Amino acid sequence: MTLASFVVKNALRNRRRALLTVVSVAISCGLLVTLLTLQRELTIPPESEAASLRIIARNKVSLAQPLPAKQLSIIEKIPGVVAASPFTYYGGLFREETFTSFAQFAVDPPRFRNLIVEGRVSEGSYDDFINDRTSCFVGADTMKRYGLKIGDRMRFTGTFYPVDLDLKIVAVYQGTVDDRGVFFHHKLLDELMGNPGTVGTWYLRVASAQASNEVIARVNDAFANTSAEVRAETERAFQMGFISMLGNVKLLIGSVSTVVVFTLMLVTVSTMSMAVRERFRELAVLKALGFRRRELFSFILAESFGLALVGGALGIFGAWALWTGIDLQKLTSGFLLYFEVTPRIMATGGVVAVFLGIFSSISPSIAVARLSVVQGLKTLD
Amino acid sequence: MAAEPIVVIRELTKSYLQGDLNVIALNGVSLDIQSGEFVVLMGPSGSGKSTLLHIIAGIDRPTSGSAMIQGINIANLNESQLADWRNQNVGFVFQSFNLIPVLTAAENVELPLLLTDLSAAERRKQVATALELVGLADRGHHRPDQLSGGQQQRAAIARALVTDPALIVADEPTGNLDAKSAGDVLAILQSLSRDAGKTVIMVTHDPKSAAYGSRSLHLEKGEITA
Repeated sequence: MTLASFVVKNALRNRRRALLTVVSVAISCGLLVTLLTLQRELTIPPESEAASLRIIARNKVSLAQPLPAKQLSIIEKIPGVVAASPFTYYGGLFREETFTSFAQFAVDPPRFRNLIVEGRVSEGSYDDFINDRTSCFVGADTMKRYGLKIGDRMRFTGTFYPVDLDLKIVAVYQGTVDDRGVFFHHKLLDELMGNPGTVGTWYLRVASAQASNEVIARVNDAFANTSAEVRAETERAFQMGFISMLGNVKLLIGSVSTVVVFTLMLVTVSTMSMAVRERFRELAVLKALGFRRRELFSFILAESFGLALVGGALGIFGAWALWTGIDLQKLTSGFLLYFEVTPRIMATGGVVAVFLGIFSSISPSIAVARLSVVQGLKTLD
Repeated sequence: MAAEPIVVIRELTKSYLQGDLNVIALNGVSLDIQSGEFVVLMGPSGSGKSTLLHIIAGIDRPTSGSAMIQGINIANLNESQLADWRNQNVGFVFQSFNLIPVLTAAENVELPLLLTDLSAAERRKQVATALELVGLADRGHHRPDQLSGGQQQRAAIARALVTDPALIVADEPTGNLDAKSAGDVLAILQSLSRDAGKTVIMVTHDPKSAAYGSRSLHLEKGEITA
């Protein structure tokens, strides 16, 4: 027998309790990892570095109000603007779907090319997209989800706009934060709408993140006191605005995560306290045999650490396996895109499990340190 | 020339608070025990016999006086030193055996040896010898709940012996045993004193058990009366 095998035997002496503890830690750690993954999923766009290089300018009155197309020539002359394109949300229904599960935008293809910096064309040719006014440029995730291939047609029923689209897929992109969108020619939308001379928003790219605030101010100033004042902001801020419509997601998820960790802490502390309390007499005997406080503390720490670590590992890797194995994009109709359990999130879960192991051993250890051999022996006889 | 006593107790007192009441458990006890003696401490409940045994064994501290065991005043040792001292010098036998239920008899006997520098093979050898000595050589792989009361107490004696301590303390070791098993256990303790030269100090209420000792001391109200 070794001290390690002694600890293992002690930890497993009440197998049901050990199992329930491990399961409760596993479920709580799995839940924590899931919440952190959800939080990341909902805040991915604002965390994208490239998103801070892009600016979206919309009508100051409301996002639903269009902007005059003639603003483009002024925007392109603003110092610091590297590229600009109209960017109009079409919001059509694909096939027989009853809700819009991926976005479609009308853009100016030659200009739009300079706006996408982090993606790449994985199939087809961007030049074909530029040359064919009825073509579209589709994200790889949407291609995969609907089993589409180059040359297929995508038909959309308009919801915001009273016109339908019939587009031919000529190019596919991937490597962006969101590889689901469909882009088509703004000219096509203009024609179908009878050339109203308006766009939904402007999409700009600046040379550097440092320059973006200055460019935003210039864009806003350029159209101040006109009939179509604009409100420019970084793509990061724009998307944060959308997320904030859901409420303070970070605070909400953070609060739930804190409650999970706190509950988990109560469970493990209670379990370890019970496990040690019912062994007071044995611990007193061990003290009588010559075991010192630090050795008894090591036993308790190793036991609670072991239970928390096994539970934590099961929960963390279980959550990883679950969310990696399930096609959440399909299951949530595209609401959850990646839901990636990153090494950082797993490490956070691991740190919580380690903390729990240490924390839950403190109170029982103090009780054992205070325990006199005589008192401990009296509890049994 | 007479050998130095292994236990030298002088003017030992022990008092403690029970609520607001100051209880005197030992009141100026002085006592010498020679090496190899089998001393039986007797007396009514609350007489202080267990307290005296606990102080001699180093699991309790006196309020005043000195307790020299093998020339060391154990009252001066700190907690860590006392733990080491107990491991090397004292073997404990308790009334309710106090074996660890998840360990086999052999593993229970091996426990005190985990604190030594002995190799696994050396530990196994000493465990086998101790179990052999108490007649449990073939029961080493049994857990306590698979042993009778008498066998459990014999395993506890093996655990007390395995570090080869000079002093063995036994607190009512036959209190939970039938007459036959009690006789076996007492015979082993007697043999340890008589044949192996161990100093055995035993607390008991039972005069029949006391008959196995080489000397009996009676305590009453914290004082040795006879």
